[in-house]
Amino acid sequence: MLDRTPNFPPPSAGEGGPRVSEGRERGAPFPETSPPHPLAPSPAEGRGLGDQPFRTSSGGLIDRRRARDFTFDGRTLTGYHGDTLASALLANGVRLVGRSFKYHRPRGILSAGSEEPNALVELRSGARREPNTRATMAELYEGLEATSQNRWPTLAVDALSVNALLSPIFAAGFYYKTFMWPAALWEKLYEPMIRRAAGLGRAANAPDPDTYEHAHAHCDVLVIGGGPAGLSAALSAGRSGARVILVDEDFCLGGRLLAERREIDGVSGPEWVAQAVAELESLPEVRLLSRTTLFGVYDHGAYGAVERVSDHVAVPAPHAPRQRLWRIVARRAVLAAGAIERPHVFGGNDRPGVMLAGAVRTYLNRYGVLPGSHPAVFTSSDDGWRTVADIAAAGRRVAAVVDSRPDVPVALRRMAESAGAQVVAGGQVVGTRGHLALSGIDVRDSYGSTLRIACDTLAMANGWNPVVHLDSHLSRRPVWDEAIHGFVPGQLPTGMVAAGAASGRLTLADALESGARLGAEAAESCDFRATATATPRTDPESTAHTPLWRVAKPKGKAFVDFQNDVAASDVELAHREGFRAVELLKRYTTLGMATDQGKTSNLAGLSIMAELTGQKIPAVGTTVFRPPFTPVAIGAFAGHHRGKEFRATRHVPSHAWCLENNAQFLETGLWLRPAYFPRAGETDWLQTVVREVETVRGKVGLCDVSTFGKIDIQGRDALAFIERVCANPFGTLKVGRSRYALLLREDGFVLDDGTVSRLAENHFVMTASTANAARVMQHLEFCRQWLWPELDVQMVSVSEQWAQYAVAGPRSRDVLRRIVDPGFDLSNEAFPFLGAAEITVGGGIPARLFRISFSGELAYEIAVPASYGDAAWRAIMQAGLPYGICPYGAEALSVMRIEKGHAAGAEINGQTTARDLALGGMLAKKKDYVGRLMKERPALTDPDRPILVGFRPVDPSQRLRAGAHFLAVGAEPSLAADEGTMTSVAFSPSLGHWIGLGLIRRGAERHGERVRAYDPVRGGDVEVEICNAAFVDPAGERMHG
Amino acid sequence: MAEHATLWRPRGAWDLYAHAGRHGRRKGPASVTVIPREGLALMSVTAVDGAEERLAAAVRDRFGLSLPEPGTALFSGETGLIWSGPGQWLVLAPTRGTLDGLGAALSGLAAVADQSDGRAVLRLSGPDARRVLEKGVSVDLHPRAFGPGRTAVTSVAHIGVQLWQRDDATYEIAVARSLAGSLWSWLDEAAAEFGCEVRG
Amino acid sequence: MRIRCPYCGERDNGEFSYLGDAAPVRPDGLEASAEAMHDYVYLRDNRAGEIRELWYHGAGCRAWLVVTRDTRTHAISDVTPARDVAKARAAKAHVTESVGSAPHA
Repeated sequence: MLDRTPNFPPPSAGEGGPRVSEGRERGAPFPETSPPHPLAPSPAEGRGLGDQPFRTSSGGLIDRRRARDFTFDGRTLTGYHGDTLASALLANGVRLVGRSFKYHRPRGILSAGSEEPNALVELRSGARREPNTRATMAELYEGLEATSQNRWPTLAVDALSVNALLSPIFAAGFYYKTFMWPAALWEKLYEPMIRRAAGLGRAANAPDPDTYEHAHAHCDVLVIGGGPAGLSAALSAGRSGARVILVDEDFCLGGRLLAERREIDGVSGPEWVAQAVAELESLPEVRLLSRTTLFGVYDHGAYGAVERVSDHVAVPAPHAPRQRLWRIVARRAVLAAGAIERPHVFGGNDRPGVMLAGAVRTYLNRYGVLPGSHPAVFTSSDDGWRTVADIAAAGRRVAAVVDSRPDVPVALRRMAESAGAQVVAGGQVVGTRGHLALSGIDVRDSYGSTLRIACDTLAMANGWNPVVHLDSHLSRRPVWDEAIHGFVPGQLPTGMVAAGAASGRLTLADALESGARLGAEAAESCDFRATATATPRTDPESTAHTPLWRVAKPKGKAFVDFQNDVAASDVELAHREGFRAVELLKRYTTLGMATDQGKTSNLAGLSIMAELTGQKIPAVGTTVFRPPFTPVAIGAFAGHHRGKEFRATRHVPSHAWCLENNAQFLETGLWLRPAYFPRAGETDWLQTVVREVETVRGKVGLCDVSTFGKIDIQGRDALAFIERVCANPFGTLKVGRSRYALLLREDGFVLDDGTVSRLAENHFVMTASTANAARVMQHLEFCRQWLWPELDVQMVSVSEQWAQYAVAGPRSRDVLRRIVDPGFDLSNEAFPFLGAAEITVGGGIPARLFRISFSGELAYEIAVPASYGDAAWRAIMQAGLPYGICPYGAEALSVMRIEKGHAAGAEINGQTTARDLALGGMLAKKKDYVGRLMKERPALTDPDRPILVGFRPVDPSQRLRAGAHFLAVGAEPSLAADEGTMTSVAFSPSLGHWIGLGLIRRGAERHGERVRAYDPVRGGDVEVEICNAAFVDPAGERMHG
Repeated sequence: MAEHATLWRPRGAWDLYAHAGRHGRRKGPASVTVIPREGLALMSVTAVDGAEERLAAAVRDRFGLSLPEPGTALFSGETGLIWSGPGQWLVLAPTRGTLDGLGAALSGLAAVADQSDGRAVLRLSGPDARRVLEKGVSVDLHPRAFGPGRTAVTSVAHIGVQLWQRDDATYEIAVARSLAGSLWSWLDEAAAEFGCEVRG
Repeated sequence: MRIRCPYCGERDNGEFSYLGDAAPVRPDGLEASAEAMHDYVYLRDNRAGEIRELWYHGAGCRAWLVVTRDTRTHAISDVTPARDVAKARAAKAHVTESVGSAPHA
């Protein structure tokens, strides 16, 4: 199950989607031009090649033969295939890439990964414009367009950087305090001002032209992260034959092995990666998903991931989605997500040019870019010195190394000095110089003197934080590990283990060992025979580290959270004002709340609060991490379900005919029902609906009522079952008869209504309303399986089997005589009102005929197998021609039921009882049924409850509105004066004026009384008279005819 | 009756949606083939409590097949029994009408309801059929977890379906007839990248 | 969440709908009291810990299930067809009633 060549960016997503691989270009995992060991001295100090002044002359995992032109703020620049936007910008000497959220401070590139807080850009243009994209994650492609954001008019000259002068106003708690200013000013002044001034990028204004899709995957072992630990885990699990999925957010697998100069068993990191990937690709049950971010961990081994299928090309290939949302189910998971380096907190630490030391090494070793010509290093750990070694190995000079620890090993000092570096042990960087980019640092040495050192890049190394986000998604808290001065996973989600740096094992040797061992154990626990291979040899390394949580007395703002512009002083302010608990600190300062979710800032904020409160860091605690790990496009979650596909659509059996005959449709739940059928010359819907109603009442009409639920109920106890679920009695229902059925919920309110027809002694069919069909089925299954499992009842939905049509109107019998096969007697005597029969039509096609009427006219419902639904509809229309038949839709159906005073969805709304709906008289008295006792609760039998009655406007020319509230004539509108509501209204063609149904207090006793139908929202205030709800044929004579 | 013959023709559940021909990717051979299966006979059979053994015997007599266990389906040629819920099965036969009278034959043992018109059935085959289904089906379809003779009642793109596998690269999927159009629209998009041949 | 349906195997929780505590038993029959029915409809314990609750596999085999779940961790320790639970309960109640010689209405 190999989906792609994961370890080198393919040129484009070809047709074939997941199999985007078109083979590795030139057959090598890394460009042939790239020597295994990526660094070599450059010919000219401080200068790279051609127009990429900061590119090294050789080395890196980029393909220098494949130049990629791109634009940043309209300026055309060139990078290479294999670059990120960030590495290409740095290669071109672009260091200022954005403005900060609140203060519009100039910002550059801090990191080389998904933790990037600063370098957020708008990618692409027009409908594909996407804001807040990390330049460090955006793969460079030919023609890429990037624009800086949150600046005006230009990045270099940003008028709103005056916000920085207002920084006291924008400090912690700003939002809360602002809300306390005069409220009148909020909407008019402050909010628009803040919205303009603070913010990130702009979303596209046009609909997204790309497609997204979902996919499901299952595996034994999920490996999260493709660095040394993850690759080792995947290898030992994969070799066992277990189904393995490895996901990695990068476009190349390898993690920090691509970024560091390391050796494994005598080969370079990238070479070892290439071998590992080649082996994994050869294993049939291993699936490698690069460019895929595992963003969420859910209960019971469910995971969410998003694959950026086409984000590395300008436009997705035909039939390829832009992104694919994976739902992964894994029996075991190995979390090998690595660690994120900690910045130092000192004055001006946000100045472009100040970077994480690990990122500087990534740019140098992986991308062949040294971001500055005078780099300096500020470290509190031994691995910071690795940066010095790498720069030296590239043949460049290092301006200075400042180590906050007083004792620096002699070997490190010598190595630095041979690279030309000034070494300051026991020193701290307290401030930075420069405007739009770093030009120097102020260093306080161990004697307290301040030195000024010129440099254009500062690499910060302050230790590493394991990525504890994913293992915390199920409300599990990380725990403090004093050995690495950081949080490590605590109790992990069931089935998950953590390996390598993600578990706090920060050395390469530990990553390889723990990955291999835990991968094998995961496969073993899925019943595969797995062995961890011997841990390969690696070159020695030291993780010695004494964290410097913040620099004392910084010069200028010392940022903790770069993306939300939260400085150390904001944490101090929160402390002074009493917001000391970690959850309060977060909300008061917005620390960790930006799109980066505080990946580089959380621990810094906690450590300062710990210092201020005199607590240890773990006592301060951590906030909870929630999905997603990094932002996910809404489109990816929607997948196929956009526009008309937002949800499924159900079509009625007459759909084809309706399309051919200009039907206008109406959505009812998932159903698309024909609402009315306009004819030429009809100018509005009401005209059409009036004509349809008049045709039914005067001649005959045909309506598709297939949307009703139909439940087949059989068994020796079928009748007993129906008795228990229906509130009205059925004991006397004979074979061949139908009856109205009223279903209550156990709490006494009406659930639904429909009909029950008895087709044979132990065979019934029950109908449910369109909207409630699924709910009724679920309820009946509950009753059958849970309440009364002893009853012999077999139940199945046959809703889809039968196309069912109402043939209604005085000529309906005449029409049906031409439809039913000869031999069936349709006369009133043989087949009276509420008759039910199994018949045949069309020369032997089985059908069912019911004499039930929703319209109040002589009417039938005829059911035919759905395949014949189209034919039956056409046959009935043809048979009805001589009688003036017309099709009618849901609108006319609704008008006629209101004319008859039948309750429907607007009245059966979950808040009404049978009595409220004037159906109390039919409630059974001698049987137990669902809802029997609870409907007798005092509140439900209160005579003051609103009761269903009819309403007519006193002035017949006035229009009624559903939703209007009833008030006594002359009463002031108030909640206390409210007497009920109008639930349904229609223009009655039969009466020539508007009519309404509604629920009003003691309605049954008040026929003839006048009240106001008050509708302030739409300006309605109509005097109406309470009347019988049956406006047409109140005695019900027509349907019996 | 001549009038009947012209007027009373059944309409296929996929008529409006699944148009024969090549869909999606044009390049290369289509790796997914779709055949709308019209005119099937399909009955739901729900066992009477306590009559399962007699039902199994009656079914064996009639179809030569046992009642399949939960999650499985048994076929003899194109006639099959497909488990569809506790105590419930679908009986499938290739020609409409061939299962008429099943209700009477199983009287007292099971409730039988005709579903021939209620379900729209598609046959999906080809080397990438599983990959198409995996975009919508949350059930594990890997050969170690699923395979020929297995069935699942589940959903695809929020649409309830029943799925069963016939051979290594052939699946059949049944959906409520009214939802055939929505299922088709999902399938058409999901299969596009592979190239999809719809047979008439 | 994933729920292992006894018939269908493990499925996404999206295929199921939740009802609630499986402990209350409906007081059947005409002699049931309004108070007992009120308790059945409304009174629920809100336990932190293991609870037996009713779920409906509506997008699958349509079986009602009794799921034993720890409300603190979502750990599911057992899933049984509700019909089997209900039948066992009825059998037990029948034994109890026979012993107490109270005829079932």
